[in-house]
Amino acid sequence: MTKPRITARTAAGFNRRALLAAAGAATAALAAPRILRAQGKELVIGGAASHKNFVETIIGPAVEKKFNCKIVFEGSRSLVNLEKMQKNKDKQYLSVVMMDDPVMIPAVAEGLLDPITTAKVPNMAALKPGTVHMDGMWVNYLQPWLGIAYNPKAMKTAPTSWADAYDPKYKGRVILPSLQNTEGLANLFMAAFLATGKPMPEAQKDIDAAFKKLVTIKPNLLTAYTQMPQAYNLLEQGEGFMISSAISQVAMERKVGGAPVDIAVPKEGIFAMPSGVALVKGGPQPELAAGYINEMIGPEVQAKLSTATYSLPTNKDTPVPPGAPTGVTIHGIDWKFVADNRADWVKRWDRDMSM
Amino acid sequence: MSVRSAPSVWRDPVALLAAPAVLYLLVVYAFPLFWLLMKSFTGPAGPTVQPYVAFMADPFNWRVIGNTLRVAAWVTLVCFLIGYPAAFALARAGAFVQIVMLVSIILPLSIGAVVKAFAWQIVLRRDGVVSQLLLGLGIWDEPQRLLFTETGLVLGAANIFLPFMILPIYSVVKLIDPRLSEAGATLGATPLYRFAHVTLPLTLPGVVSGIAFVFSMSVSMFVIPSLLIGDRFQTLSTLTGRSFLLMRNEQLGSTTAVILLVLAVSIVVGSTWLARRMGGSTT
Repeated sequence: MTKPRITARTAAGFNRRALLAAAGAATAALAAPRILRAQGKELVIGGAASHKNFVETIIGPAVEKKFNCKIVFEGSRSLVNLEKMQKNKDKQYLSVVMMDDPVMIPAVAEGLLDPITTAKVPNMAALKPGTVHMDGMWVNYLQPWLGIAYNPKAMKTAPTSWADAYDPKYKGRVILPSLQNTEGLANLFMAAFLATGKPMPEAQKDIDAAFKKLVTIKPNLLTAYTQMPQAYNLLEQGEGFMISSAISQVAMERKVGGAPVDIAVPKEGIFAMPSGVALVKGGPQPELAAGYINEMIGPEVQAKLSTATYSLPTNKDTPVPPGAPTGVTIHGIDWKFVADNRADWVKRWDRDMSM
Repeated sequence: MSVRSAPSVWRDPVALLAAPAVLYLLVVYAFPLFWLLMKSFTGPAGPTVQPYVAFMADPFNWRVIGNTLRVAAWVTLVCFLIGYPAAFALARAGAFVQIVMLVSIILPLSIGAVVKAFAWQIVLRRDGVVSQLLLGLGIWDEPQRLLFTETGLVLGAANIFLPFMILPIYSVVKLIDPRLSEAGATLGATPLYRFAHVTLPLTLPGVVSGIAFVFSMSVSMFVIPSLLIGDRFQTLSTLTGRSFLLMRNEQLGSTTAVILLVLAVSIVVGSTWLARRMGGSTT
């Protein structure tokens, strides 16, 4: 049992897969035929590189123990996973994909996913409302949230509102994510919310109002980043005071690591950045794949997972981990609407937000 | 031409030594480039120039082209102004100083652009060295933002590309016989006249290749602007990168890539031609 059973692969790994599998099988067949039989079931999961740690230490071991199988995790990016499924449409090798919700939509449109049902995944019944999408095409296994990251050394009082980023006293000190980055969408919707005063589900459709409000933040902007590490670098050096719309997990990891970073929960509420998981249509080992998802959204793994990632669990029977916000409005994002309009928004962002 | 040059390969088999290089460039460079070119001219209904028409019809894209060329021109100018005298100092230095100088020029090349861009972020921030210096000299009354400005981008990029200006000029200066200038002096030429009529024309080949290197690298840089100026300042290469990586719009990406290529090549070729006319042969 000391032998590590989880193997990680890089984005390019799938090209080496056949070779590795063949070599592995040959060696195993020669050396230890019994092990080969025992560990014959192998499940390949596609996800983001940032998932690697918790898949290998939390979800993987739980699933392997229960089903006596081997979990192989390929960590890349959501879009790379989509590409892998597109390229292997006739002979999928991924069984489960863990991708951002916006990327799930094209995957559904191209018929690459199999719906998740309570028959296959009983724990689905315990999921919070709003975490099952498009009739079960994918579900959310975690809710990292978006708040405002700030440098407590530079800002004596923590931000309390999304409107603080517009306050003239923070001239040149505010960092925004680019609209290219998923976390950047929060600013757009919040701008509409602040400008129109409408409830969020309605406000987030009023993109024109959003941009009219958002351009007024320009004097305060230090930069709009596409590379998140740079944003935290600027924040921690004190050049930037706040990152308006920051992912809880990233900010908390920096904070726990000792950096002068904290994350504030604005009074208007936070955004859920749901992380999706789906079954690959025609993927190998479909029962095992369903079992993986069932474990993932089960109370035991959920508790460990939400604590380790400073996120909110999606299983309603799992308590919110200490330190995570409670009693605050969690705004959802209409990902279908985003997918349909994102390109136009990015175009307008380029024009309106340029220097 | 082709009729005459083809058999010469056989007469002079040394030319065959270029075969691996030619093959390599064909496979990894020419074919992909050709594919890219075709992609930008291919619409859903066959060959088209529509992507180019649409791109050019948008005034924002002209600003992007302007950004790209302006920044590249500034970077090239700064590199030239710093690199030209530096190349002379390098060529005329004593053996030990020359080694030290060469090492200090070449060693930074082994550090990636990302690391250097991050270093510039520290140098250019409000409490950074540049800001402290300008405040100390009384040029600035209060700290101002240099990071994420065009000035900051030009400074950072010029630093990264400087060796590519110095080294070609150095290699030419090294070969100039110092007695030529002395001969001019004996004949009564003023230092300025000697520089303009003797030294400058002789260094022109190095200058032209230095400018070609720096300009073509800075016109196409991607990582440096994305770190030093961010998302609010688009250039042709950041637009190209984003079209492929985020928007998954291969046609837009290949269109901007081809426009960038054409602009860069024509400016480099054009300036080389101009330099030849001004200073005689550069080869």
